[in-house]
Amino acid sequence: MTRHTRIVMSVVYWAFVIYLFVPLALMVTMGFKDSKFIGFPIRAWTFDWYATVMQDTQVLAVFGYSMAIAVSTTVLSLIIGTWMATFLGPNMFRGKAIVFALACLPAVIPGIISAIALRIFARLIDIEPGMLAIILGHTVHNVPFVALVVMARLSTQPKSHIEAARDLGADSIVAFFRVTLPYLKPALIGAGIFCMLLSFDDFVRAFFLGGYQPTLPVLIFAKLRSGMSPEINAISTIVLIMTAILGLWAERSMRRLNKGS
Amino acid sequence: MTGETDTIVHIDNVTKRFGSVVAVDRLDMRIMAGEFVTFLGPSGCGKSTTLRMLGGFETPDEGRIVLDGVDVTRKPPNRRDVNMVFQDYALFPHMTVGQNIAFGLELKGEPRDEIDRRMGELLDFLQLSGFRDRSPDQLSGGQRQRVALARALAPDPKLLLLDEPLGALDAKLRGQVQIELKDIQKRTGKTFFFVTHDQEEALTMSDRVVVMNAGRVEQAGTPEDLYFRPESRFVAEFIGETNLIEGTVRGIDKDTIAIDWNGTDVRGVAHGHQPCEGDTVTASLRLENVMCHPRKPARMNAIEGRIVSKLFKGSRTSLDIRIGGHQNTVIHAYMDAGNAAQVADDRLWISWEPERLTVLRD
Amino acid sequence: MAHAESDTADLGKASAPGGRMNFWGALLQNGAYQTLSNTLFKTQRRQFVMLASLPLLWIVFANLGPIVEMFWIGFLDSYPPKVGYEPKLTFANWAAFFQDRVFIVPFFRTLAFSLIFTVITLLITYPVAYFLAKHVKRKNQLLFLLLLLIPFWVGEIVRTYAIMILLGNNGAVNLVLKSLGLIDRPIPFMYTGFSLGVGIIYLTALYMLLPLYSALEKIPDNYLEAAADLGAGAWTRFRRITLPLSKEGIASGCTLVFLISTGYYATPVLLGGPRSTVFAETIAGFFHVAGDQWPMGAAFSSIMLIATLAATGIFLKLMGRGGKGMIR
Repeated sequence: MTRHTRIVMSVVYWAFVIYLFVPLALMVTMGFKDSKFIGFPIRAWTFDWYATVMQDTQVLAVFGYSMAIAVSTTVLSLIIGTWMATFLGPNMFRGKAIVFALACLPAVIPGIISAIALRIFARLIDIEPGMLAIILGHTVHNVPFVALVVMARLSTQPKSHIEAARDLGADSIVAFFRVTLPYLKPALIGAGIFCMLLSFDDFVRAFFLGGYQPTLPVLIFAKLRSGMSPEINAISTIVLIMTAILGLWAERSMRRLNKGS
Repeated sequence: MTGETDTIVHIDNVTKRFGSVVAVDRLDMRIMAGEFVTFLGPSGCGKSTTLRMLGGFETPDEGRIVLDGVDVTRKPPNRRDVNMVFQDYALFPHMTVGQNIAFGLELKGEPRDEIDRRMGELLDFLQLSGFRDRSPDQLSGGQRQRVALARALAPDPKLLLLDEPLGALDAKLRGQVQIELKDIQKRTGKTFFFVTHDQEEALTMSDRVVVMNAGRVEQAGTPEDLYFRPESRFVAEFIGETNLIEGTVRGIDKDTIAIDWNGTDVRGVAHGHQPCEGDTVTASLRLENVMCHPRKPARMNAIEGRIVSKLFKGSRTSLDIRIGGHQNTVIHAYMDAGNAAQVADDRLWISWEPERLTVLRD
Repeated sequence: MAHAESDTADLGKASAPGGRMNFWGALLQNGAYQTLSNTLFKTQRRQFVMLASLPLLWIVFANLGPIVEMFWIGFLDSYPPKVGYEPKLTFANWAAFFQDRVFIVPFFRTLAFSLIFTVITLLITYPVAYFLAKHVKRKNQLLFLLLLLIPFWVGEIVRTYAIMILLGNNGAVNLVLKSLGLIDRPIPFMYTGFSLGVGIIYLTALYMLLPLYSALEKIPDNYLEAAADLGAGAWTRFRRITLPLSKEGIASGCTLVFLISTGYYATPVLLGGPRSTVFAETIAGFFHVAGDQWPMGAAFSSIMLIATLAATGIFLKLMGRGGKGMIR
């Protein structure tokens, strides 16, 4: 490659980084504007919007609600996804490709269709719109991601580890809990945090499957429809910081996958 | 001495197939208590499948496996008193050395004190005392191998399986570990079932070697038996280096067999089988059993030849000798370096003791 | 979840005078557990069935159930069930789609928009992925990649809002243009196909970037050196070596971005306008506007699902690979 193209490439990369960060930076900045009116220029600065958010019991309640959904979803997704991976990973059987494709289906179905289908399905199995329905919807969506991450990790585990455990007196269940599960730990931490983010950030499923109580993205959406306000920026900024921290942590855990023994 | 009571494992007419491939074909073998037995053969010969059937990782299609008088053919690995040292050691990476060794004892339901006592013994015995709280990835290859051994010995198994456990070590260390392993086996008095494709390992350590090929036992015996008295062409070629001679059986007297080797009368012996007159046979002659003489010796099996290549190899010299006339073959031989220097002319005579030429079964 | 720590946890009952049993040891020695374990794992086959049970049930119940139910409801004339009314089978919901421009236009607009956004995303992210994979030193690659990942952890709504602030009449872009004296009055970016495109690309770029990066990263440098050695110029090297070898990444990335961008609902509502209504909004209308028309919504969703899956199926066929392993 010539020096010329190298420079062009790096300009494109940094332009792309700017494209990704500038909107978020603007959004954060706007949360400190001392005016109810969203837009430039900013003449006065304030922390009041954060104080308002912190005292807003509705926002705090919604935050807790979203968190509860995210945690429940994560636990369920990890259990089902890990089970799915231990089934699909090492075993060979007829029709495996089809089963695998069907297992991954919810991850690729367009969001709106998945939400509508789950809304109808929740009615069929008699789940009222609300927390339970959202948890179901998020779990359906997240299981394929967990399964794929765990399968990747599982494929690097030497078969002899499980055989050694069996040889030393463990049955299949004990061998799984004592040997396989600890081996999967970094993958499970990574996948778990990823699930938390997917669930916490999801709008479309929470919107169609939720009842009167909104999740945080649904609340922000509702507030946005009735008009932009720096309070929304403050909420969004808090969410942004939290997700970034969680994301970095997940990334660090996943990194250990590559280094793992 | 080899009564029924001493048999620890009876592999009773066992067959194992994978699809259309017969991995183990009607194997029938008794393993004695306290014995170091090695299954030797090329990859795919069925030795590893045999080991995995003893461990419970494969189930025989036919036949039984009897461990200390109990039929364990269909018992899973966790329900038999057999432990294994894996080829890659399979030490659990998330546990310390101590936790690895304690694993089997814990699952047996041993109380903590007993586990500690037993682990202390094993760590001492295998010179691992300082490593109890180390992680396996902080250990050298040889140390890891000892930890794997300690872990497998901890639950006090009736039979210890070793699946090419020296394969991961470098050549220099391997020789030392061979001696250690043999010593450990002697001191514990355990029955070792060792699997390898390395003939040197098998010959060095074993009380008895079983050579397998294509799912069947070619020959079983002491290392000396296999080396000097091979019964089949496969064994003769697989273990050590040898010259193969083809000829027709002319006559059999009480000690030796007379063979017509393209017109020359040579004499040999047979072990474990008896060829008939008129049979076309192959016979094996070890390189070091070929004697070289500057002049025609007054012995049986004396043949004239010409040196076509002479390679100095330190303690000895390797010779390729072309046998003239009808034979038109090359015989490989070793000579002491000193003696080889005396063979000035490139013409010489070779000979061998009749009991060194072994007629093989085909 | 249980981990290795439990071997110091001493959960087992005190047994012999010399200490306690390990939890797992106690479990395995427990008679009731042994019976259970023996029955569950008696044969390889039974063990396989145990392992397969939950995943297969989940796939049928959670992955297929909703889709099948959605198709089924699309054939009913009334749903949710009303007291005293027996729903009848009908094709009217499916037929309605083809009879009204109000439905057909957003449908094809969605497909066209998604297609265009996918192509633009590919063109934008390909050089970025190439730069990352081939020009950044290997030990720095993860750091450079992480920089791009961070914005993507932020949710759909927050990022959409960020674009609203960027493109609004009092937004940053208009502010900059005005202060440069290029414009007198703000350009109305918002509520158009343009603002929608900026938003969707902002949301989906990662799903293109990651497959492209992993495909490009796998191409050994010496392929390009060999090509250069044989006299290939920069453009030829790209066209004959890099592009064909990154085809799989392009296929996965385009599939993901296309499927995901057809499925957005909040972003078109917030960033789009009356002339850029997408099919997701049409479908949502049947469920949220007064007078729920679930059967029609179900039929329309089914039509969209078939159309998007068919489109990606054809696309993947054209790219010459099966449809497996599309994620990451």
